[in-house]
Amino acid sequence: MNKYLFMRLVNIVITLFIIATATFFLMKQMPGSPFDEEKLSTLSDEQRLEFYARYGLDKPVSQQYFLYMKTLFQGDLGESYYFKGQDVSSLIIGRIGPSALLGVQAVILGFTIGIILGIIAAFRHNTMWDFSTMLVAVLGVSIPNFVFAALLQYYVGLKLGLLPVAFWESYSSSIMPTITLSLMVIALIARFTRNEMLEVLQQDYMLTAKAKGVSQFKVIYKHGIRNVLIPLVTILGPIVVSLLTGSLVIENIFSVPGIGSLFVDSIKVNDYTTIMGLTLFYSAFFVLTMLIIDLLYGIIDPRIRISGQRSE
Amino acid sequence: MRRKWRGRLVLIFFIAVVLLSGCNFSGSSTEPSEQTNEGTTNDDGARSADNTLRLSLDNDIPDLNQVKTTDGISFGILNNVMEGLYRLDENNEPQPAMAESYEKSEDGLTYTFKLKEGIKWSNGEPITANDFKYSWLRAMHPDTAGSYATILTDYIKGGAAYAAGEAEADSVSIEVVDEKTLIVELVQPTPFFVDLTAFVTYFPLNEKFVEEKGDKFALTYDAILYNGPYVLTSYNQAQGVEMEKNPEYWDKDNVAIEKVSMKVIKETSTALNLYEAGDLDKVYLASADVDTYKDSPEFQTETEFRTYFIQFNEAKEPFNNDNIRKALQLAYDPQILTDVILNNGSEPAYGLVAVEMAGVDGQSFRELQGDVIKPDIEKAKEYWAKGVEELGSTPQIELLTADDTVSKDTGTFLQSEYKKNLGVDINLVTQPYSGRLDTMRAGDYQMAVNRWGADFNDAMTYLDLWEAPSNTDFRGNFINSQYDELVNAAKTEADEKVRIQYLLDAEKLILEDGSVGPLYFDGLSFLQKQNVKGIVTHPYGASPDLKWATKE
Repeated sequence: MNKYLFMRLVNIVITLFIIATATFFLMKQMPGSPFDEEKLSTLSDEQRLEFYARYGLDKPVSQQYFLYMKTLFQGDLGESYYFKGQDVSSLIIGRIGPSALLGVQAVILGFTIGIILGIIAAFRHNTMWDFSTMLVAVLGVSIPNFVFAALLQYYVGLKLGLLPVAFWESYSSSIMPTITLSLMVIALIARFTRNEMLEVLQQDYMLTAKAKGVSQFKVIYKHGIRNVLIPLVTILGPIVVSLLTGSLVIENIFSVPGIGSLFVDSIKVNDYTTIMGLTLFYSAFFVLTMLIIDLLYGIIDPRIRISGQRSE
Repeated sequence: MRRKWRGRLVLIFFIAVVLLSGCNFSGSSTEPSEQTNEGTTNDDGARSADNTLRLSLDNDIPDLNQVKTTDGISFGILNNVMEGLYRLDENNEPQPAMAESYEKSEDGLTYTFKLKEGIKWSNGEPITANDFKYSWLRAMHPDTAGSYATILTDYIKGGAAYAAGEAEADSVSIEVVDEKTLIVELVQPTPFFVDLTAFVTYFPLNEKFVEEKGDKFALTYDAILYNGPYVLTSYNQAQGVEMEKNPEYWDKDNVAIEKVSMKVIKETSTALNLYEAGDLDKVYLASADVDTYKDSPEFQTETEFRTYFIQFNEAKEPFNNDNIRKALQLAYDPQILTDVILNNGSEPAYGLVAVEMAGVDGQSFRELQGDVIKPDIEKAKEYWAKGVEELGSTPQIELLTADDTVSKDTGTFLQSEYKKNLGVDINLVTQPYSGRLDTMRAGDYQMAVNRWGADFNDAMTYLDLWEAPSNTDFRGNFINSQYDELVNAAKTEADEKVRIQYLLDAEKLILEDGSVGPLYFDGLSFLQKQNVKGIVTHPYGASPDLKWATKE
């Protein structure tokens, strides 16, 4: 187990290194610079290069790469070009809170409602319950979340005045963005749970449990859900990562000071250090989540416990 | 089993606490002391009947370090919490602010500013002439300056050498005579120099305070010392700022607003919803919303000193041919572009220099010049036929634009106008914003849609762009010694009337040469609550100015 973990960690470091390298060179292919090029256009080429030189941007890209990597290995993500005077790491820390809160809430809400809907649909297979649940699921997948967000904002926020239209001022500000983000999750999970549950219900062990006289609730809880969870965990990873790292559109619509819009904006203004910092942060978060999920498999399903060396 | 659950619950609770504490709800950051101060106002009335002005910002706030910052959002905030020697009024005329008066030498090269008595920083310290010298030097020094340094170095004698690191601070002609007297020597007569002192890069800084804060200067609201009508009470780059009236401000009796909030809202539709809900006092409209609100009494428009124009590249075929250039310059009607396509308050352009930009003797530059380039389809056809004959064949033409919606729409508009009026097909090439600039710099274009926003209220801000030797490719390889002479003469001329005449001639020259084709002067449509008055916006530089704002 320890050896496995060690190998995985080595893999993660190599992966991140490759990602950093690729991103760096791709990023430098983008036209422009992190500065106000329209104003710089009044300068002569000489003056302009002099200006770039102040930030080390006149050097060949390969040299810039080695300089960046050197500081990166010292654990320093550098200073933002756009938000002048600020470390990229403090920028990320300042913005991750709101995105993470929305993400966690959306995951919890989405999974809870999704699983419940899925189970209902499976147990009331081919009834009105099933059809209406699946209708919700189809709608959830097919309505773009920014449309839903705009409708929610207009009716709940503006017309009914129940919740704040936008801004990030109190806990109630997080409710509408959370609901919007969880819609997709609910739809995905409900469909998934229903299909898996239908399959699990056919299994012999379910019949055995029922034959033993175990109550229906217990059958679902002890035998049903546990088996449904295994495939669910597989899709959990990508969902968690995409939700926790923020959604540009939703954050912009509800004026949430999150990390999603920071990423897109940093690309727009060629803020090199911030682009690198966020890419690395996303990647590290993703691979670590994947690792945790692989470890989770073992806990949920003893059959796939890795290399079977755990002493029990 | 039960114990295990309890453990998990504790863990979940712990995560929840960490998350909630890390998510910076701005509402929770207001200090309790402030709330007790306003204990007399009822809590639920906070939305309506108070003296708070609520505005929005359309993006994050990049940088409040005044000597380094380069963007309109930061300028707009700093303009209300800081103040230069002069402040622009609603007519864009400079009014004495930190300065009481100034004297100009006869040759127009030396300015002597007298500071007001009793002006103070927000911490109570007096503001002295040295605060200006310190700040201006800082704004020019290569280690501390940003890309706006040229707005000082172009004018202040010795500034350019100092900015290049070739000279010491002593060689820059900014002299502190005593605490209240500042003498500045200029490179050339600059009639708009007093206007410039109202600009953000010219604001003063308290040396002791800045040195004390070091790297942390201007990163938080308490790491800035204020001298304007308001002070910041909170500052979050992703959320916005809150301001309060500055009790140390010299003209505080004329500041009617107690509090201002400027919040970051990136979606125009969200801003509009907030405006409808009463959470904002002013909101800028997207073109698509203009028709809905056009007849509302809250609807208003404003124009900017920002001109969009076609830049023809005279070094590339077919635009090395005068007739082809002139044909394409005359064959579109900017009125259709502004009224039908942009529909946002923009005005059609028949010249380069923006409407309302200062001229001389109370007349604007545009009034003096009149329209230079008016669409004339018949003439355009003639030019085209002549040009094609000279070339020997119909040329292939590509138009380069940026890839945002407005630029692409402008490109499509020109394409259809040329097709309709001349029967000519042109191809559109779109590139991202900085990609277009790079392509133009490399001279790899035939014609392109470009724009320029004025830095100060004088035609020179436009006309010296085409003066040799800067960026020939970027400026369409327009090389004309007569033009250079006119612009140069204007730069050294002390007589205002003669100077403006030089500039009028220069504008006429470049337009009649067919090097550029004027498209439109950028405009904005907005809604403003009727109980709010006196928000001053300037068509250039730092906007808005909330000093004179009132709310009933």
